[in-house]
Amino acid sequence: MPPSPLASSLNRRHFLKGLSACVALPAFSSLIPSNLSATASARASATSSTGAPLRTAFINFPNGAIPAHWWPEGGLTDFRFNQTLEPLADLRSSVQVLSGLDQLNANPGSDGGGDHARGNSVFLTGVRIKKSATDIRAGVSIDQAIAREVGHTTRFPSLELSCVTNRRTGTCDTGYSCAYQYNLAWKTPTNPMTPESNPRRVFERLFGEGGHGERSANAQARMMNHRSILDFVMTDAKRMQSRLGLRDQEKLDQYLNGIRELEVRIANLEKFGAPADPDLATPAGVPFSHGEHQDIMYEMMLLAFQTDSTRVATLMTAHDGDNRSHEEIGIPEGHHELTHHQNNADRIAKVARIDRWYVQRFAKFLERLREVQDVDGNSLLHNSMIVFGSGNADGNRHSHDNLPIILAGHGGGELNPGRYVQSGSKPATNLFLSLADKMGVSDLPRLGDSTGLLAGI
Amino acid sequence: MPNLVRLFLRRTLPLRKSIVLGFVALASSVSASLTTTDVMASYRDNVEPLFDNYCYDCHGFGTNEGGVTLDEFTTETIQDHELWERILRNTRAHIMPPLEEAHPTAAERSSLAAWIKSDLFAIDPANPDPGELTVQRLNRIEYSNTIFDLLGVEFDATDTFPKDNSGEGFDNIGEVLTLSPMLLEKYFDAAINIVGDAVPTDPLVLPTDTLSGSKLVRRFSSSPLPDDESDDYLQLSFYQPSQRTASYRIDEAGHYQVTVKLKPQSFVSFQGFDYNKCRLRFSINDEVKIDQEFENSSGKVFSYTFDYDWQPGEQSFAFSVEPTTDDPERIKRLKMRVDSITVTGPHDRQHWVQPEDYDKFFPGGVPSAPAARLAYTEQLLGDFATRAFRRPVDAETLEHLVDLATSVSAQEGYNDEMGIAQAMVAILASPRFIFREESPEFLYFFSEKHPFIDEYSLASRLSYFLWSSMPDAELFALAAAGQLRANLDAQFERMMADDRSENFFSNFAGQWLHARDIGSVNINSIEIWLRDNPDPEMFKSQRAYQVVREIPENQRTSEQQATYTRTRAIMRKLYDMKRPKLSPYSELRAMREETEMFFENIIRTDRPLAELLDSDYTYLNEALAEIYGIEGVKGKKMRRVQLPPDSPRGGILTQGTFLAYTSNPTRTSPVKRGVFILENILGTPPAAPPPNIPSLEDAASPEELAQMSLRETLALHRENPLCASCHERMDPLGLALENFNAMGMWRDAELGQPVEPGGQLVTGEKFDSIQELKHILATDRLRDFYYCFSEKLLTYALGRGLEYYDTAALDSMVDALESSGGKPSSVFHALIHSAPFQKTRHPQTSSPSAHASVPPR
Repeated sequence: MPPSPLASSLNRRHFLKGLSACVALPAFSSLIPSNLSATASARASATSSTGAPLRTAFINFPNGAIPAHWWPEGGLTDFRFNQTLEPLADLRSSVQVLSGLDQLNANPGSDGGGDHARGNSVFLTGVRIKKSATDIRAGVSIDQAIAREVGHTTRFPSLELSCVTNRRTGTCDTGYSCAYQYNLAWKTPTNPMTPESNPRRVFERLFGEGGHGERSANAQARMMNHRSILDFVMTDAKRMQSRLGLRDQEKLDQYLNGIRELEVRIANLEKFGAPADPDLATPAGVPFSHGEHQDIMYEMMLLAFQTDSTRVATLMTAHDGDNRSHEEIGIPEGHHELTHHQNNADRIAKVARIDRWYVQRFAKFLERLREVQDVDGNSLLHNSMIVFGSGNADGNRHSHDNLPIILAGHGGGELNPGRYVQSGSKPATNLFLSLADKMGVSDLPRLGDSTGLLAGI
Repeated sequence: MPNLVRLFLRRTLPLRKSIVLGFVALASSVSASLTTTDVMASYRDNVEPLFDNYCYDCHGFGTNEGGVTLDEFTTETIQDHELWERILRNTRAHIMPPLEEAHPTAAERSSLAAWIKSDLFAIDPANPDPGELTVQRLNRIEYSNTIFDLLGVEFDATDTFPKDNSGEGFDNIGEVLTLSPMLLEKYFDAAINIVGDAVPTDPLVLPTDTLSGSKLVRRFSSSPLPDDESDDYLQLSFYQPSQRTASYRIDEAGHYQVTVKLKPQSFVSFQGFDYNKCRLRFSINDEVKIDQEFENSSGKVFSYTFDYDWQPGEQSFAFSVEPTTDDPERIKRLKMRVDSITVTGPHDRQHWVQPEDYDKFFPGGVPSAPAARLAYTEQLLGDFATRAFRRPVDAETLEHLVDLATSVSAQEGYNDEMGIAQAMVAILASPRFIFREESPEFLYFFSEKHPFIDEYSLASRLSYFLWSSMPDAELFALAAAGQLRANLDAQFERMMADDRSENFFSNFAGQWLHARDIGSVNINSIEIWLRDNPDPEMFKSQRAYQVVREIPENQRTSEQQATYTRTRAIMRKLYDMKRPKLSPYSELRAMREETEMFFENIIRTDRPLAELLDSDYTYLNEALAEIYGIEGVKGKKMRRVQLPPDSPRGGILTQGTFLAYTSNPTRTSPVKRGVFILENILGTPPAAPPPNIPSLEDAASPEELAQMSLRETLALHRENPLCASCHERMDPLGLALENFNAMGMWRDAELGQPVEPGGQLVTGEKFDSIQELKHILATDRLRDFYYCFSEKLLTYALGRGLEYYDTAALDSMVDALESSGGKPSSVFHALIHSAPFQKTRHPQTSSPSAHASVPPR
């Protein structure tokens, strides 16, 4: 049946009028974060030395990049950008080009085909994912590992965004469940953090529905409404769980986890007060062109950072294996198809143009971050650490060593940008571990296949 | 191994006859509890000689083609179910042993299959393992449908919830339907929104009249319009002037408000930004209220509200549109859609009315006396919770709900209706609504190893299978009386005849045959056209244009600028040229409907399943018939068309859906088409590509590659034995379809080289044309298709991937098909009576559980 637009009726507004706080909040000890008091490291959670928030984000682009056009020439500080990274020239002093980082668990090994499912899901987890269409098992991704510890500092522990609107039905990359290909962030090895691809919904989730001036009240009313039913659904879920077998209990665990996060959000209302209400129009919806979609999602991430709604974010610009055309830049062939260029110069040139186009959108984001002033007078970019990379290195060969990765931002002064850091051959997860360390995460001895912190960044 | 030795070994084996006899004796003595030692012994006696004869040359004595070893079984390794399932599948489909090698007789093959099922899988035909389902989370479509059936509200979950994970080709597989924290929040939000929209919590409301959709169109058009023009009547083109007027009668004097919603929309899927604008004027009673210029604005809705004090009489509404730009680049077919007009009033409270659906939710109104009110609340919430949870609600839960309702309505500014509504929000947010639980407590009462599921669970399985929604009142009533199972066949008939079965057709065929995806497929019609009508001059111009347009205008030399002007004009002519296109609103939509209607007809009229592969008819409208080159079909409506006798069309494989979906944006992909057929028609999917695939460059130089046709390039696949084993299976199938380009159009040549569709299947059948291939699939390989179809259907019906023990159910489904000549009714019947659908594993024998010993309440 054709969907009709949801009528916004008087009923609904009446309904949300703010159920009084008289409704008792169930007392759950899960509300109190376990590590609030633990300050083994002198670093405060996700805060720079000047007291400004410290942010981290992880952004992917699909299908690797043509190595010959990606890698700079020259050494540590006297390097020259090559054509793909040329759009970053103006931002040179705020970025680092990192080479020699690997995700070896994305290699086929005994699993055979499926480099795009792997490239995508290993990118932030560093584990060998389980090859199955239905029994999914990856690992905890770095953003979630960080959010687990520093998430309590903001209203939202983390934000997962995506520019992928079109998901295929049926089977995905040879024998792997589609879950692997459409998610970057994994909260647990079996529960991916589904990203939001509609900018309007991202905005409404962050700031509330309605126009400027109405949003905070709407957001609060909604939270109060949720609170009123928590007791009932919690009891219901626990009783259901006790009836189920072990395998099913895991499914209910996901539900209960969600409830716990909701409780934290409700408690955060008291802790942080009403959410910010930017003097901006709510985005209309998903833009038509892929370029615009990326731009607006980057803008959402910026807003989320600017309002300190969160300090941890991920963005999937396109899933690995993406085969869309790039009509916007005059390339009608499928991207994935082109990356299997068989050394044809024409096709290589086209792929390089697509690579550069993704970098351009990212550069625009960095410029915006640089424009916006943070609470300590520095720019947002100064107080951020942003990873931009792909889970595939050479798309033609499906290789996963020497991944194309950029680290942007100054990390509140903790990073040394403006350099081309060549690490030889180290796990990319070492980089992630280092970022976690700078974010003040004290409780992460390893992630995936990491062997320690990454020197030199 | 030297040939001589192999020969020697073969000669010393017992005669084939006695092997067969041995099998027959064993297969008839069914034993459900053979120890692994027994199995090893029986393997040595009955199977090993067979393997030695036909398999060890490649899978034994140290060789292991395709990574398969068949001569190293021990009591530990013999129970590798996945391997044996592959052996069963490949021998059944005659893929193994390969055609050119010695191969077993039919009797030997079926004996092997029987042994695998009875001894190795240890399937007890009288009581096969039915497997078990995880709690199944409702997917988006199921959620939307269930909400509609429960509350009458249209909630578009596909717009709000993130896309579901899919596995095994379907999005209703419980194991992969995860629940992230964000999704949980959305369920909570949805519960509020849905109840807020559906349930009238005010006994008296402002009279509201919302005109939208066809109701709105009827106001403005003086005479009734045919269906396909009705949609468009209030979508006014940006490019030409138009007017629409309507009159609206007011019966009571008073203060009114009129809200108009407008939505500029674009109707073409790609290629740049359309800069055209139009001016829209809206007048009420000849007074201009809106006078504004609009442009393409990505689906944004513009809303305007006006106040009036009116006397009874006719009021008039009028729209006029006129274009304000005349840019010839009308790329997007921009239209101004009049989305809705809402009139509220009179605003004076004395004229307020009871909402239309108040009685539906609060029949008779909520009593004011406390005892009566409590009973009323209990009754209402008990009914609603029972329906929402799809089984009777227990007393404790009901009490909790009533308490919630009472405490909410006791608050300042809240009435009884709102209290009840809030309890309904809690019900919709509860896991018992979101998940389908199958009452394990019930099963503890049974001692059988594989008990029947309870009747409420059966009702849900049936309704979500055939309707993608909750059971209806009749199914509930039968389940409550314990009579559903006894009336299963009659209920099945009723459900299939019901309109809601449309969901089965669009969801099952939509995913199995990818009809769902065709609307968003990306095919570049220009590139395809150029491929089939190659023009070297055009290629040169195209290349030159692409190079020179990258240079910013102020940096071009005069020579480059001249090239730009010249090639741009050529490109303009090319783009403007009348040529076939695939538009989502026309051709692609018709393709989806063709696939769905074709499939639906075969199932509903009980045609032999073979007709899915090879038929002499299909469903077309004018636009699609033009793509197919079929004459005599006029108009937008899809209708059944008898095909000419020599037509290559007819059957799934020559439908636009399959042909376009399996293509790349600029060319066909025979490999993808071959894989599709292997996975979805023959049920013998190729193994994954091996690691370290040598690149095609290693096989031939770039110059050689450039000269080769696609067929010749693919032939390189088959020179390397590592690649050949799979490509021998895939390539001939895909190449047979090369006469159909990526848009599904027929062509005799590609890039100037004639297409040669002939080939040979790996099972030996030769064909010279697509007609011959379809015939082979529908006859020689029909049994393979029956197995594949049964697997897909059973997977979708259960909502889980299939395991080795499901072979029993599949066999019964295929046997039913073969006995009935391929009638779909027979396979559905076998399915709904099969063990996996009717039963589940006893909780105590299922996966280990910490709570297995907890007795039910």
